[in-house]
Amino acid sequence: MLLTIDTTDARPIYQQVADGIKELIAHGKLEEGAALPPVRQLAADLGVNLNTIATAYRELERDGLVVIKHGSGCEVAPRAATDRSHDELARTLRTALTELVLAGLPTKRILKMVIRELQMVGKEGK
Amino acid sequence: MHMDQYAVIMYVFFWVVRIRGCVRRWPQPLLRGPEWFFNVQVQPGFYEDEGRKLLRRYRTRMFIPFAVDIPLAIAIFLSGRLELLNWLILGLCAMIHINHSYSVDLAERQARPLAVPEAEQPVAAVLLSLTPRRLRDYSNRRVEWALGLSTLVALAWLVRYYFAAPEHHDLRRVFGTPVLMLYAQLGFLFVKRMVISWRSPLPQSQTAEHMAAREETRKYYLRVCDMNRAAAVAVIVFWPFTMDMGHAAFDRVYSVWFAVWLLISVVVGVWIEIKRKQLVDLALCARPVKLPDLLDQAENARWPVCYQPSVPMLLLKGARGYSLNLANRLTHLGAAYLAGWVVLFVVLPKGH
Repeated sequence: MLLTIDTTDARPIYQQVADGIKELIAHGKLEEGAALPPVRQLAADLGVNLNTIATAYRELERDGLVVIKHGSGCEVAPRAATDRSHDELARTLRTALTELVLAGLPTKRILKMVIRELQMVGKEGK
Repeated sequence: MHMDQYAVIMYVFFWVVRIRGCVRRWPQPLLRGPEWFFNVQVQPGFYEDEGRKLLRRYRTRMFIPFAVDIPLAIAIFLSGRLELLNWLILGLCAMIHINHSYSVDLAERQARPLAVPEAEQPVAAVLLSLTPRRLRDYSNRRVEWALGLSTLVALAWLVRYYFAAPEHHDLRRVFGTPVLMLYAQLGFLFVKRMVISWRSPLPQSQTAEHMAAREETRKYYLRVCDMNRAAAVAVIVFWPFTMDMGHAAFDRVYSVWFAVWLLISVVVGVWIEIKRKQLVDLALCARPVKLPDLLDQAENARWPVCYQPSVPMLLLKGARGYSLNLANRLTHLGAAYLAGWVVLFVVLPKGH
């Protein structure tokens, strides 16, 4: 199970870590209850400040994707119906769609892209 | 045989092993071919000028431990305190490894200005393994149980032996050696933890090769630690048998013990050579790349020590070489452990 961090990516490193783990969870590569490396290990491997990884883990915890057990590491939380509102979830989708529209893609192509990505997540998540 | 003679045999054996080590390290800078100096890709003609000097300096540095060893060994032989040879061997083992690591790092740093510029550019993407590395993930449960139980049984026997007639037994003679061996065990566990926590970021190209090389190296060092732990337990288990032995019987048993020990050492020595060869072959499959320095270590880490509480690494790679992070927990534990050895040597005199 590998996580890619790209120094040329505009996102900050903590965001790349959080997004990478989210992607692995969505694809089912990280299953419920799977142990994640401690903050210290990930920070040392990447050669970054402890706070960088701690921030990423806190974001994942806030999203209900991981459970941080103090002293015994961190693990992927059980999938439960989210308590985030419909509006809150739709906002993320809206942001992504806005970017695609602004990039000049026609609606049909955007729809195709969305369906393909959704199928990929669903397929890998099985 | 007298104890001093055993010490001399061990010292001779140590020389054989270290000469083999020198033979192995001699061609190390050139293992990847003439375009490389260790893991630095150098420009054509490197070995005709500056490279030759760097190579000569690296090879000269290999003899520093000999320059320390020979006068000390002569002094020990002249003084007649041959038991000190064992401590000389231990000290030299540490010195040889530290000297070699420092020497390789220094040689690479000196070669970098003459490297191929494109090869010195750090790669953009780094891959991280999300598999947790814990002590228990790298421990064999059966081996751990066997080591733990053997130690407990031997210690329980010694406690029973001592308390059967405390006025007739010397506490330090009964428990001295086992306590030293237990403490040595603790040290090897500490080293295991350091090896497990050793950082291992991977480049995006040849990820599988890099990963295989890193994991095999890690497992090799962990196995060496476990072998040493097993050796310490063997001494603890052997110790109770020597308690009521007379000098003649002890000498006989010790001769057998020593012969077996030497034989095992030879077998392990051969295994180490084979394993090292395999590790070199694995490492050669992975082309070295420069990984990005996200902490600006070269600027922030002052040689030889630094204090960086928010950085989880024990060693930082500064511009002048490795810098020991004094804020790291492993540094504190290591210092406490070394202090513990000093206390033990003051408190515990020799056994048999």
